[in-house]
Amino acid sequence: MKRFKTTKGMIGIVLLSLIALIAIFGPMVIPPDAATAMDMRARRAPPSLTHLFGTDQLGRDLLFRVILGTRTSLEIAVSAVLMSVVLGLPLGLISGYFGRWIDNVLMRFVDTLLAFPALLLALTISAVLGPNIQNTIIAIGVAFTPYLARIIRGEALRVAQMPYVEAARSSGTTDAMIMWRHVLPNILPAVIVQATISLAFAILAEAGLSFLGLGTQPPAASWGLMIQASRDQLDIAPWTAVVPGLAVALTVLGLNMFGDVLRDILDPRSK
Amino acid sequence: MTYVLNRLLSVILTLFMITLVTFAVTNILPGDVAMMIMGTQSNPEALAGLRQSLGLNDPILVQYARWVGGLVSGDWGNSLIFKKPILELLSQKIVASAVLVVMSMCIALALAIPLGVWAAVHRDKWQDTVSSSSALLGVSLPDFFWGIVMILVFARWLGWFPSSGFVEPSVDFWGTLQHAFLPALALGLGLMAHLTRMTRSTMTGILSQEFIRVARAKGLTERTVIWRYALANAIGPVITIAGLQIGYLFGSIIVMESLFGYTGMGWLTYQALLNRDLPLIQDTVFVIAAVVMLTNLAVDLLYVVIDPRIRLG
Repeated sequence: MKRFKTTKGMIGIVLLSLIALIAIFGPMVIPPDAATAMDMRARRAPPSLTHLFGTDQLGRDLLFRVILGTRTSLEIAVSAVLMSVVLGLPLGLISGYFGRWIDNVLMRFVDTLLAFPALLLALTISAVLGPNIQNTIIAIGVAFTPYLARIIRGEALRVAQMPYVEAARSSGTTDAMIMWRHVLPNILPAVIVQATISLAFAILAEAGLSFLGLGTQPPAASWGLMIQASRDQLDIAPWTAVVPGLAVALTVLGLNMFGDVLRDILDPRSK
Repeated sequence: MTYVLNRLLSVILTLFMITLVTFAVTNILPGDVAMMIMGTQSNPEALAGLRQSLGLNDPILVQYARWVGGLVSGDWGNSLIFKKPILELLSQKIVASAVLVVMSMCIALALAIPLGVWAAVHRDKWQDTVSSSSALLGVSLPDFFWGIVMILVFARWLGWFPSSGFVEPSVDFWGTLQHAFLPALALGLGLMAHLTRMTRSTMTGILSQEFIRVARAKGLTERTVIWRYALANAIGPVITIAGLQIGYLFGSIIVMESLFGYTGMGWLTYQALLNRDLPLIQDTVFVIAAVVMLTNLAVDLLYVVIDPRIRLG
């Protein structure tokens, strides 16, 4: 735990805890209609005491909207990454553990998926399924799966050659049991590190999808949507872009810093 | 010879699998394709007509075979929104994207290599902190955010570059470069971060090696040691990582080209997705995946050329 006490680790943890608190409790604290309430007299109002972060083109309070957006973005990113772990774990584990032709076939498939840029795959899936929050999760989750599978496979391959696995095998333990009891616990640190880093990418992907109109749909609040809306009013109301942009940046920054420190702790080989 | 032949076979197999995945993603997902294109409110006769003309009434395998057969024979079908042969559209747009991709890669490398070397040379000092912090900031903001900032600062306020559009290189090459610069810069900044880190860690490893100490002991200037000795050895891994980023770049151009109205492959893909132009979606998705795969292959081969220590088995 000592290693968390680096500046980077501390900043990462503080940022992430803050963002998590905002995502969980924020929507309960703000007035229920605050984020959608339009104040037509205060359209594009600059930051002030009544509207701390200013308002958007419809006079909606940006502080409240960015808080709601935190929940949306985190919900989507966490669900999508969980989905890619659930899909990628068996794929990578089986491939790395059994090796030989199973590995060849599965990794050939994964490599094919890797030729598709993650954002392209996510955009296509979302467009075909029809854009909404649930399909955005599916789109990003599927698009990230091959990356998770690749890394898990590499780890499983390494662990499968360890003497303790060989010992378990020679004492007649079944393959399923070995994977569950010996391989899985030993690849878990790498999976956690990769999942943390993937979360940062998922936040960016969600913002990108929503920015292009193929992710979260209005009137729901999402950081990508807010940046999209700010495009045409940038010179008169720059805060409409800065507020959601900063929200994305701080979240991704926190995740990256935390992920870096986590990697140093959980994965000694990376040193 | 066997190596080249094996590699070639593997490329053909992967291309075939790319067609399978592309077709699966665009077809097997639930929902009626004709309905998806025309919307739920369209009249049944028009829907039936569209189904007929797209061949959607045929068994799925027949549809797949027809599509792949068309790809091989050069009949790539027509775009529903542009009412033009897709092959013609693609061959126009791919030039624009090639300019953008090459330019952003050059910008990223031109920023990342000096920054990474600087950080490695002054390891754990303030220079290292500045370098890694700016790299971290680069990855933490979405690249379209940089794009918006660029438009505001360099196009609206300073008026140095056009804020949107594209000019054919055959018409005005200088104009092409001007239009590509801002989106390329925004893409390059996003790309730079990863490459800076890679350069730093590779250089750090090399600078602690024996031959560097020998070079210094020989009395070579620090500049020669760093740029001629160390960097020459670090460039291989950096190029490899840069090559792997091509996939990421081809995802990002969809957002960036749409933002800048830069009419390349990314813009075309976005138009196809937005308008549910199924034939165009299939072909653009296939082409992008194929280009990414072939670029990765090219980087592999380039690596062999750059680093003579690697021998093909």
